[in-house]
Amino acid sequence: MLLELRGIQKRFGGVTALKDGNLTVDAGEVHLLLGENGAGKSTLMKIVAGLYRPDGGEMLWKGAKASFTSPAAASAAGIAMVHQESLLAPHLTVAENIFLGREERLPLGWVNRRWIQTAAKLLIEAHHFPLQADWRVERLSPAGKQLVEICRAIQHGSSLLIFDEPTSSLSEAETKEVFRIVRALRNRNMGVIYITHRLEELRAVGDRVTILRDGETVHTSALKEIPTEKIIQHMVGRPIGSLYSRQPQTPGEELLRVEGVTRKPLLNNVSLSVRAGEIVGLAGLVGAGRTELCRAIFGLDALDSGSVHLAGKAVRVSSPREAVSNGLALIPEDRQKTGLATALPIGHNLTAADLAKVSRMGFFLDHAAEKQLAGEYIQRLRIRCDSHRQLAGRLSGGNQQKVVIAKWLVRGARVFLFDEPTRGIDVGAKVEVYEVMDELARSGAAILMVSSELPELLQVADRILVMRRGTLTGELPGRTTQEEIMRLATLHDGGTLIGEQVREQ
Amino acid sequence: MIQKLLPFLTLIALFVGLSIASPDHFLTQTNLSSVVRQTAVINLMALGMTLVIISGGIDLSVGAILAMGGLMGTKMMEKGYPIGLGVFIGILTGCFCGLVNGFLTTRLKINPFIVTLGTLGIIRGTTLIISNGLPVHEIPQAFSFLGEGNFLGVPFVLWVLVSCAVAVHIVLEHTRLGRYAFSIGSNPDAAYYAGIPVAFHTTAVYAICGALTGLGGMIEASRLMTGQPTAGQGYELQAIAAVVIGGGSLRGGEGSVVGTLIGAFIMGLLANGSDLLGISPYLQQAIIGAVIILAVSVDELRKRKTSRT
Repeated sequence: MLLELRGIQKRFGGVTALKDGNLTVDAGEVHLLLGENGAGKSTLMKIVAGLYRPDGGEMLWKGAKASFTSPAAASAAGIAMVHQESLLAPHLTVAENIFLGREERLPLGWVNRRWIQTAAKLLIEAHHFPLQADWRVERLSPAGKQLVEICRAIQHGSSLLIFDEPTSSLSEAETKEVFRIVRALRNRNMGVIYITHRLEELRAVGDRVTILRDGETVHTSALKEIPTEKIIQHMVGRPIGSLYSRQPQTPGEELLRVEGVTRKPLLNNVSLSVRAGEIVGLAGLVGAGRTELCRAIFGLDALDSGSVHLAGKAVRVSSPREAVSNGLALIPEDRQKTGLATALPIGHNLTAADLAKVSRMGFFLDHAAEKQLAGEYIQRLRIRCDSHRQLAGRLSGGNQQKVVIAKWLVRGARVFLFDEPTRGIDVGAKVEVYEVMDELARSGAAILMVSSELPELLQVADRILVMRRGTLTGELPGRTTQEEIMRLATLHDGGTLIGEQVREQ
Repeated sequence: MIQKLLPFLTLIALFVGLSIASPDHFLTQTNLSSVVRQTAVINLMALGMTLVIISGGIDLSVGAILAMGGLMGTKMMEKGYPIGLGVFIGILTGCFCGLVNGFLTTRLKINPFIVTLGTLGIIRGTTLIISNGLPVHEIPQAFSFLGEGNFLGVPFVLWVLVSCAVAVHIVLEHTRLGRYAFSIGSNPDAAYYAGIPVAFHTTAVYAICGALTGLGGMIEASRLMTGQPTAGQGYELQAIAAVVIGGGSLRGGEGSVVGTLIGAFIMGLLANGSDLLGISPYLQQAIIGAVIILAVSVDELRKRKTSRT
């Protein structure tokens, strides 16, 4: 037994994050830790990694009682964590990051660069990682950064490695690469704890599973013994209609047409069309140019050539401002960074794109009107919050996403670009986001939806377009298969994806 | 809640403490008027700075703008133009300098700290060139009313300050400009993605700050009855300190007019009280420095307690 947690408790102010966290991890196993957002997974792991101190319960590390007061203490004991957001120094090289804080001690704080370089190179080669020791970390893709963190953990001689949602920002191919590495670590007799939201990827990698709900461990078993529906039931606490499915409707007039859009080197002659009432999926690997296409349509990046037509009219969109005034809406990939002002109230966020609606004489704000409008949309999208004055950052991921969508509804947008709309959102809340998208389509909006989760695209989209390296490689009906999408997404694509991205940058 | 009220309670405590410690000198109309007159200039700059800081910027050039505004305004009077026009020119000069700051920040996309560090030098240098380094003395006597006169029994500058404070408060809480300032300061990318004209409103905020500083420059000139090209050195730091003590955050998106006023008056009372109690001016500076750090750390603690991460 490597790690044992018994009845771990943790409170933040008045909020109880963990009531009864139990978990055992053996050497040489991949242990999946599942649960909805807010179930306490990350808190529990941060306690193991020495980032938080528990308020109750006990932790046994290799059979002895342990309590880590800092990440350094946990790391010295052999516990390493690969975080959701990269905790690397972006301006340093891969090698420097691997050895950061562990440089060989020379007099006067001198650093032996050549030695670090060589040692990193050996480590990378031994594991067949698609990395180079002298690459700068800022130029790596999210997957590449995770590999560097894994290298760090291996170099430190860790015996337990914790992955906090490692694949949430990775493409399918990169995910497979991470799985290969996780299995390799297991074979080296390391213990691995793996937190994830993606139910469909569990079977590929896990041995045992522990499920948390509302701060309590509700289930532990071998993965083979439990069917996926049962896992979902444990996570949500109630059985949910197995998976979402949507009734497509006959599309209306064409609202968005993109013709020959080119922006070297990321977009090459892309043409597509979306009609009112349609949800068109956009699939592809990370780096295929899907986000870039959304950005270009929304006026964030200038086009080399090509044109955008809205409701049959050619429009020049050279800034988000023009895009918005033409009825376009972008629900960006990174909610916290570009979708919301998290430190401002929900109400302010809802009216941000259309303050004119709650203004008098075009300048003075009508707070009463704003309150009423906010209340209306909070109800319509079932945003769970205390009031419109609550700070947007305090909401759960799903509710934050609804605020972003509601902002565009207030503005009366008709063409919606959804970029990874359910990233980092609970299973239950995902379905609610799909429902909102469905309602939008029914009310005559045109939706282009980028997603890296193929099952999601298959459930929600009427048609699926596939991109690869900046070009559209095909169109598939909504009822296609994951294999068909992957075939178009990876067509003639040899080489390792992580390395390829670095070269393209 | 207590912690949110802390700046206000500190101000009250200071006031009561000084009333007890120095009853004969502190609680006199002359002394209180002089506190108001001394604080008014910093206060006006701090009001503008509140807007700038809320929108996520900073303006290090306000001290230099103050001098240029004061100099241009008094130069007009020296040439025989009416006092009103002189004051207007002072404000306009400040506004123009602010526009330049805003323009450079938004069009060249340079960090405002760097931009205003640069314009600080440019504006101060230009002021010295225009004036040849010499102050303007030939000013009509009536001009002293702005800084030293009384209206309805209280210093005229207090009326000016209160009107400006009310105006800035209304702008912040009840207009689109104010709302956009909060949005831009809280998350500039999200504001841009939402189609908010970020560059326009950022520039507007710097222009307002410049105009208020120009007005402050005229008050300073009126109090000294000279247009000093070297006026206002180091005032920018006092203005920033007032905003920060009053709960403004240099990360943007936070701040209020009431908080800033309280912050400026806390510093004003600290200076005045130290004078009255015979505390050395050297120690005074250290005390004010300590107060700034204390105020911000209390505020940070409060925020950390209420948010989970």
